[in-house]
Amino acid sequence: MRLRSLVHLASLNLRSDLRGTAVNTVAACVGAAALVFFVALGMGVGQAARLMFPGDARLVEVVPGAVSLGAALGGGALDDAAVARLRELPGVDGAWRRLALRVPIAASRAPEGVRMNWPTGFTVQVPVVGVDAGLVATDLAPGRKFDDPPSGEAIPVLASRRLLEVYNKTIAPAWNLRRLPPGLDLMGLQIPVQVGFSIIPLKTEDRVYDARLALAGLSDRVPLYSLAVPVETVRRLHKEFGKADTGYSSVILEARRPDDVPGIAAAVRRMGFAVDEGERAIAERVGLAITVTAGALALLALLMTGLAALAIAQSLSASVRARTRDIAILQSLGATAGDVRALVLAEAGLVGIAGGILGVGVAWLAARGVDAAALGLLPDFPFRPTTFFLFPAWIFALGVGVSAAAALLGALAPAALAARVDPARAIS
Amino acid sequence: MISLRHITKRFHDGEREVAVLRDLDLDVAAGGFTAVVGPSGSGKSTLLYVAGGLDADFDGEAVVAGKDLRALSTRERAAFRNGSVGFVFQSFNLLPTLPAVENAMLPGLFVPRGSPAPSIGQLRGRALEALDRVGLADKASRLPGRLSGGERQRVAIARALLSRPAVLLADEPTGNLDAVSGEAVIQLFSGMVRDGVTVLVVTHEERVSAAAGRVLHLEDGRLR
Repeated sequence: MRLRSLVHLASLNLRSDLRGTAVNTVAACVGAAALVFFVALGMGVGQAARLMFPGDARLVEVVPGAVSLGAALGGGALDDAAVARLRELPGVDGAWRRLALRVPIAASRAPEGVRMNWPTGFTVQVPVVGVDAGLVATDLAPGRKFDDPPSGEAIPVLASRRLLEVYNKTIAPAWNLRRLPPGLDLMGLQIPVQVGFSIIPLKTEDRVYDARLALAGLSDRVPLYSLAVPVETVRRLHKEFGKADTGYSSVILEARRPDDVPGIAAAVRRMGFAVDEGERAIAERVGLAITVTAGALALLALLMTGLAALAIAQSLSASVRARTRDIAILQSLGATAGDVRALVLAEAGLVGIAGGILGVGVAWLAARGVDAAALGLLPDFPFRPTTFFLFPAWIFALGVGVSAAAALLGALAPAALAARVDPARAIS
Repeated sequence: MISLRHITKRFHDGEREVAVLRDLDLDVAAGGFTAVVGPSGSGKSTLLYVAGGLDADFDGEAVVAGKDLRALSTRERAAFRNGSVGFVFQSFNLLPTLPAVENAMLPGLFVPRGSPAPSIGQLRGRALEALDRVGLADKASRLPGRLSGGERQRVAIARALLSRPAVLLADEPTGNLDAVSGEAVIQLFSGMVRDGVTVLVVTHEERVSAAAGRVLHLEDGRLR
């Protein structure tokens, strides 16, 4: 039997039993809708969580050990020698230094290049950390350098990508400051600062001078509430203000592959250092929770799809039994057992495809409804996503494919039943 | 055209075996109109099912339209039913949910692989032609339930004609029809014979056998 004949006859049969077709299509639709809805939700929430906690699975943050037995036994300060040894660990692709600036820096004037209603007398203490250029090289804006500048020039800084979101959603509303418009190019923005000045009494250095920080990029590798400057700048400022450097605050190791991370962490601990798993651990826990929840919901949806397949199987079995004579008539006209089997499967396949397409549509509409409701009900917190759902193209194919596959699976037994009809017996 | 030799067909009734056809021989020449008459339960329908390749479980030799039915595979037997023979049944055996034209199109949907298959549009055209030949072109879109018994049987004949078969096998074709409708069906059969179709009818109605060129009696599983 040719495909066009099969589709023609299957369509006629489905049209002739509109009620049964509708029931089976709704069953397939519910399964597909649930599956697409939950998979899209899992991916959407996962993406939102990754924006909130942009953990890099290849990074390991090494910090000095809590209890050190001294450099002789390994561990101790994170100095250049330790960095060199860490860089040699198996699986390590790079080792980047971080050094917290211990000279206070404060900003008491609005940044230049952006309109802000900076409150009079408002001073912000700016936490600064020095980082190796290699750690943030890929995040630098085109044409920007990340070196310790000559005297009198602006110091290049990188801010956390998330800081802008936090500023717009919490700091600006709380302090009644102007929000930064979306799409604004902040690169090159200059922030006038006072080096050595602290808002904490008695913490201001003996010498205070004016300087400027120039935004050179945004990075997820910069701590949320800090600005990153070149590590050489921090060392220079420490020297200028008489602060001794006993070692780096931390060293970021970049593994070649995420699989290398556990081995690197173990080696680091054997060297007497500790691994700060703070943010990465949060990111991993959030990711795991989302994966598990989305997986459970997708499993539930698959179960619903399975139930839809069972419903279709039951309905088609009853339909085949009721159509035994019709099947025998078709056989008397030249239908083979294979044709009869294919006909039942084609009917199920068409129902599955129609149910799948409907299901994907229902899921998409439901997602838009949830997004609209969330927009109205949830406060405008940082990183609040504009949608909690992701609908990549393949998810539509998944919905239709799984629905069609479930319907075909449900039709296997009824199709076999139909193919066993004895025409001579059934027609007489 | 039809050659049946030593055909024996048995049915199992529990432990008991009942022979419906016993060492039956039948020869029908091409283009003949043959009627087989006999009482109910004499095996007339079984004889048609054997000759039409619907029932392959028999002893003996059956050659119809040049095909040795015992030697055919299941698939080849289906192709034989599709292209070489047409069936007309007492109870019409139309699909009740399909309009007349779709019922008449059905054989064209099962054209075996390897044979040229018409498009759905071409099939519809051929089905309308066949319905026109039986005088039902104006009722092509009607469901069988909205046709009279005679009209339904004419749709069944149109369906049987679609594949232009060499042999038409009819099982009590006028059994459910009034005299006028029955006469119309008999006229159609006679016309088909004139067109070269071999017609084998099993019936217990005199009006049908009277129209046939040859009448055979089936009794105790044998033809006399």
